[in-house]
Amino acid sequence: MADQTSAMPASLQVYRYRAGADHVEAVIGELEPELPQEDLVAHASEALRRETFMCYAVSQPDDFVADELCFVPQGDRCEILSIRTNGWERHHGDHRRSLVEILNNLAAAVACGKLRILDLGELAAGQEEGHPVGEFAISDTADLQRARESVDDVLKQAGIDDIHRQRTILCISEAVTNMLLHGGGHGDMVVRRLPDRLRFVVADEGPGLSFLNWIEPPSKGGQASMGYGYKIILDYLDAVALHTGPGGTTLLLDRMTN
Amino acid sequence: MLRTSIAQGPAPTVYLAGEMDLDCADTLREAVTEAARGAQMVALDFANVEFIDSSGTGIFVRLALDLKSQGTPLVARNLSPAVRGVFDMLRVRELVGEEVFPD
Repeated sequence: MADQTSAMPASLQVYRYRAGADHVEAVIGELEPELPQEDLVAHASEALRRETFMCYAVSQPDDFVADELCFVPQGDRCEILSIRTNGWERHHGDHRRSLVEILNNLAAAVACGKLRILDLGELAAGQEEGHPVGEFAISDTADLQRARESVDDVLKQAGIDDIHRQRTILCISEAVTNMLLHGGGHGDMVVRRLPDRLRFVVADEGPGLSFLNWIEPPSKGGQASMGYGYKIILDYLDAVALHTGPGGTTLLLDRMTN
Repeated sequence: MLRTSIAQGPAPTVYLAGEMDLDCADTLREAVTEAARGAQMVALDFANVEFIDSSGTGIFVRLALDLKSQGTPLVARNLSPAVRGVFDMLRVRELVGEEVFPD
């Protein structure tokens, strides 16, 4: 059940500036020729100098399709997050979160080290760390319970306490639900054991993260998620890493084991 | 999987047991619709709900708002710790109204 809302979704765009460079790189999305490189480099340098994360509203959204940019210093580099709104409204009238709020939450999670945005090379490395201890195909809502039960067993074997076990299972449920609703409807989850953590790699080949799923009103049948799955995942796991694009979305969800 | 049983009456109670996720929408809606027929209000008892995620919560919120607009208020009782934790995190009281949680 892929998202059919729009051919032009509100999607995540992430650039990276390395201290001293004269340009930014694309981490998620593409580097458009018309990108205001000088402006991005200047703001990223300022964020690095001040060691604080800064968000700017883009005054001419016609010229640049994101309507807010967040600059997040990370040591010797600065991550630049934006949501390409493609003309969708910034704010929604009901309780659902605005695109700006979502972007700020993601940027804050990056700033505090909870969330890492991965390019394809980093993703490949992260998927190979440790050794696999389980793999599950996901294709149906009935797989939700099966995935939770399997993860519960792995967590028990790893000696994770009850509260962290329950929170991890909740996060797995959220990630698998996102895959079923918005990630093309199927994918797989691989559990990997690293020296200090368990890593749950949840991957789909869907159309990539669209934030419209988070702000559109629920369908009449009430099937739509509340858009809070990612909030739960970011709040409850020890570390989260993400890559998304037209080829699909992959989450690396880590629970520390010691 | 979510299991339901109904104690009928002018203010019927739907007892919920098991897990509330994306898979529970039809089961929950059918049980509540049956209970609400001719009733003045409907209670949902969450004591035996062992797991709920944001999809299960969203389904409950939509149902509560739908019933309210139809003039048959829904109340939630005996929230299990699992349900209470997620409802608090997602600020469900603000979404559906304090009156849904009379306990």
